[in-house]
Amino acid sequence: MITLTDRYGYMVWMRRFELACLEGVPTREIHGELHSGIGQEAIAAGMAGFLRSDDAMSSTHRNHLHAIAKGVDMRAMLAEIFERETGLCGGFGGHMHLFDPSLKFSATGIVGAGVPVTVGHAHAARLRGSDSVAVAVIGDGAVNTGAFHEAMNVAGVMRLPVIVVVENNEWAISVPFSAASATETVAERAPAWAAVGERVDGNDVEAVASAFGAAVERGRHGGGPTIIEATCYRFRGHFEGDADVYRTEAEKEQRRAIDPLALTRDRLIATQAASADELAAMENAISQAVEQMLASVRADALPAADTATHHIFVEEMP
Amino acid sequence: MTRNLNVSQCIAEALLQEMEADSSVVVLGEDVGRHGGVFGSTRGLQKIFGADRVLDTPISETAITGMAVGLAMDGYRPVLEIMFVDFIGVCLDQVYNAIAKNHYMSGGRVRMPIVIKTAGGCIGSGAQHSQCLWGTFAHLPGLKVVAPSNPRDAKGLLASAVQSDDPVVFIEHKKLLLTRADDFPFGTNVPLERFTIPIGEASIVRPGDDVSIVTLSGTVLAAYDAAERLAEEGLSVEVIDLRSVVPLDMDTIEQSVNRTGRLLIVDEDYLSFGLSGEIIARLVERGALPASVRRLAVPDVPIPGAITLEEAVVPNSDSIAKILRAMCGQR
Repeated sequence: MITLTDRYGYMVWMRRFELACLEGVPTREIHGELHSGIGQEAIAAGMAGFLRSDDAMSSTHRNHLHAIAKGVDMRAMLAEIFERETGLCGGFGGHMHLFDPSLKFSATGIVGAGVPVTVGHAHAARLRGSDSVAVAVIGDGAVNTGAFHEAMNVAGVMRLPVIVVVENNEWAISVPFSAASATETVAERAPAWAAVGERVDGNDVEAVASAFGAAVERGRHGGGPTIIEATCYRFRGHFEGDADVYRTEAEKEQRRAIDPLALTRDRLIATQAASADELAAMENAISQAVEQMLASVRADALPAADTATHHIFVEEMP
Repeated sequence: MTRNLNVSQCIAEALLQEMEADSSVVVLGEDVGRHGGVFGSTRGLQKIFGADRVLDTPISETAITGMAVGLAMDGYRPVLEIMFVDFIGVCLDQVYNAIAKNHYMSGGRVRMPIVIKTAGGCIGSGAQHSQCLWGTFAHLPGLKVVAPSNPRDAKGLLASAVQSDDPVVFIEHKKLLLTRADDFPFGTNVPLERFTIPIGEASIVRPGDDVSIVTLSGTVLAAYDAAERLAEEGLSVEVIDLRSVVPLDMDTIEQSVNRTGRLLIVDEDYLSFGLSGEIIARLVERGALPASVRRLAVPDVPIPGAITLEEAVVPNSDSIAKILRAMCGQR
């Protein structure tokens, strides 16, 4: 059984991992638009521990935290994000496109596109007669895509074990959820697809874990699809380099003050599950581990230019 | 001894045999189960393999194309039917951003053994139900693109597509689907047993010495017909059926034009930025472009509704024969 201290450990790993990624942007080791999940750790950490390697998970352009929760090797991820040949995908994917077939983890840079893929995994579980489930993590922007609706309907009519975790950080780049959704919440749409819908405080790692654990159990026992809407706030811009002028400074300051890591830490100390000293020691150990991981990744080679045309096809082409 | 099967029956037979041989092969799409496909090319499969393995889906092309991606990543070999190739626009994202790229983006760790089985070609159905679009798929890296012209190839190429570890867009010609073997002058002998035809090898349907026609799918029959007529006028026309656009069998084309010195490319897809221009460019790069080159394709117009208008823009044996005569200095 995973304890709250363990979940806090996940959150610290996630935060430190994202901070390590940020280091690669000004140094131009990471190109393109890096999407940081800083501030949204409680949702991914709340999912940790419930999934087996045969449960599938698809994620988004903002995928690092979910991959960590699924158990994807962090060094290989960091190397992929830092564009090294030792990366999870050998440098062919990049930060938005992480794949770990051994854990049935995949990510897509196309908003909403992961949900149908998850339905395919869930159908595969049914064909095998297995009780594995399939999880799609998406943002609030994705719930307005056709892919989301189509996939939810198929999951609903087929009663498939699909769990969609919606990280509702209220902003689809610059457009607020209130201006993009006909309904006030995502969860209230669930009955349209005969799914269970639940809205939880995504800053509360225990609330997420409770809802997610129940959804996984429901999925394993033929209860059909679930939508978990977890409210949260993206602490940084949509991508590194985003001027982020669409949110007021006052809003950002106020919302960043509610830090899921601090909330969890306070709770651990208040309930005497851990002492401040113990947690500080854990934080230091993780910081050092990530620092070492980053230094070691930076020593890895970049992919060789003459490999750029590999992997287009499995079979040799004439 | 020929079995007088139509092309749809050949495809259904290939699917049946591949599903019997490999339990990871699954079929999904609209009307593929209870109905057996609107062209009958999945007929009988659901009764044998059940409703989960031959899945009737809602009209949700994005969802079911994405499902094929998930199934493939989960160890299955999905055969996804998109009823008409024209409908690919509603699910192209999953086709070109996931099916075509996941193997590459994963550094070779993920495989996408998916067949997108779909019907194209002109039978008087107007602009939204008549396109071929193989040039569109061929432009996107990561997809094999196959379009058979006869019953035997349909069975053998589909079997290869299902067995391929790469994604294959398999474009059936609507006119051919319901044409029986006896009405084809080639490819009529369809073995009952399981067999494959390798993807990427063109076939010389009719040998000749004076001019080479390179084409595929429904217009192979039209080219063959034109060649037969021109033979009576003393012209020897070679007809090459490409069978696939990706891979493109340039060696067979080059060897043929080296002999004949004349090339006519006939394409039921659109003219510009497509198959015909690509073949010519590759011949130029090989230093093998013959002196006489023509192309006959849909002249960059949508396919019209009225049959008189359709016939005016889609290559047929008359328009092929006319160009052949002009190329060879005959009237």
